[in-house]
Amino acid sequence: MRSNTLKGRVIVEGHCKGEALVSKQPLSFLGGVDPADGKIIEKNHDLCGQCVKDKILCFPHGHGSTVGSYVLYSLGKKNLAPKAILNETADPVVVVGAIIANIPMLDKVEIKQIRTGDTVDVDACTGTAQISRRKES
Amino acid sequence: MYLTKEEERIYDGECGWTNQVCMKILVRLGELFGAEKLIPISSAHVSGVSYKTLGDAPIEFLKALADADGKVKVRTTLNPQSLDPEHLSKRLTVNIREKQLDILRQFDRMGVAPSLTCTPYYLRKPVRGSHHAWAESSAVVYANSVLETWTNREGGPSALAAAIIGKAPDYGMHKAENREPNIIVNAEARLRNETDFGALGALLGKTLQDKIPVITGLGTASETNLKQLGAALASTGMTNMFLHKPAQNVRKLEKTTVEDRDIKETIEELSTSSATKPDLVFVGCPHCSKGEIQQIAGLIDGKKVKAGTEFWVCTSCHVKQKTAREVEKIEKSGGHVLSGVCTVVSWTEMLGIKTIMTNSAKTAHYAPTLNKAATILAPLEKCLETAFEG
Repeated sequence: MRSNTLKGRVIVEGHCKGEALVSKQPLSFLGGVDPADGKIIEKNHDLCGQCVKDKILCFPHGHGSTVGSYVLYSLGKKNLAPKAILNETADPVVVVGAIIANIPMLDKVEIKQIRTGDTVDVDACTGTAQISRRKES
Repeated sequence: MYLTKEEERIYDGECGWTNQVCMKILVRLGELFGAEKLIPISSAHVSGVSYKTLGDAPIEFLKALADADGKVKVRTTLNPQSLDPEHLSKRLTVNIREKQLDILRQFDRMGVAPSLTCTPYYLRKPVRGSHHAWAESSAVVYANSVLETWTNREGGPSALAAAIIGKAPDYGMHKAENREPNIIVNAEARLRNETDFGALGALLGKTLQDKIPVITGLGTASETNLKQLGAALASTGMTNMFLHKPAQNVRKLEKTTVEDRDIKETIEELSTSSATKPDLVFVGCPHCSKGEIQQIAGLIDGKKVKAGTEFWVCTSCHVKQKTAREVEKIEKSGGHVLSGVCTVVSWTEMLGIKTIMTNSAKTAHYAPTLNKAATILAPLEKCLETAFEG
């Protein structure tokens, strides 16, 4: 077990621990995530087919319509939301979505250091994300 | 960010959940973009009204805001919906009609009347130099560039938050230093009509990113042509403002030139169909002014819409009421004047519309993806020739 702590800027406060789901690509919540089941449906996306529910969702930044913020709220209401969101650069769509859905969120995080499957302990009060990896692959 | 005592109380939840969540949105966005404070706004314009683009997700959020006594504090206008009660409504399912109505009901509960237009400035012209929180990118560019009122390009949720708090974070277009041009565009091309102006906007949007151009060579362009330029500019890029009159101290700026062939190529790119008989001929993106409705009514002068073609003119309920005589002429010709609806966010595929001819570069840009329709971009006279007999 190796651990590594990354720093970020707090966007929405909170504290949670979960499994990372990491993308190298920007994500649009409107049209990119199905509000009915939390699955990523954006064509040609590296996470297409994956479910965001209870994940520590890591992606560079959001893009697309501001209606995407409401999709995050709807996911939250159905218990399909990610546990936390880590971004390189926060953008208004994801920021507003995280606020209204009350999802802990950090930006300015070096998400390249995180791999899908890592356990991440997000302290979105102090702005840190502690990554634990079971074994090097 | 500096907050007044009252703003802090709202932020801490002392004035209820709706006010708290709206204040958090404004403060976080403000911090993100380097605002130091909130400033009062004179109006808000909220996008995200069409059930077609929203889907079910936002209805829950709007309802939660209204349930927790959310009320707007400033004059607030709404973007168009996905249908109009007179024409399109009866061709759609009960479920669509009810869901769309439910969205309007939630806005109504928050004190937002169904103005349903992308051109709120035709309802009431905002005062020069006043600050606003408008979503709807075409209206944002028109406000900053033509009306000289100050607004950022808000999203649907942030414009609603600003409406409920009555303030907006002070960054971007609210600051004089960010309203200076940083590139000169020499429009050497001959801009003959609104479609050429739209094509210029579409081309600049793609190349300028978020730079503010001062455009030379526009002469005394009409407000309608500038509306088309701005709408297309906003749809292909992030620019929130252009200058259309000569500006001071710009000699040292980077320069670019737009020629006839650039406009021609842009129009060709935005026309994906070579059909001679489109399913729909559509005028009114952005929504028509009184003058445009009068012009259309004058040009059709007793002619009839061809069988197998639909002719739509979109505008606000406000303008439709003020042009009752012209509307009657258009309806008698077999055309439809749709109020409160936007073709791009309406259910055209469900109505079997596969090709759309329009004079709007913005519609031509969006229709292939949002309406899954092929497009023909051409000026008003050409659109009318195609739609009407004789």
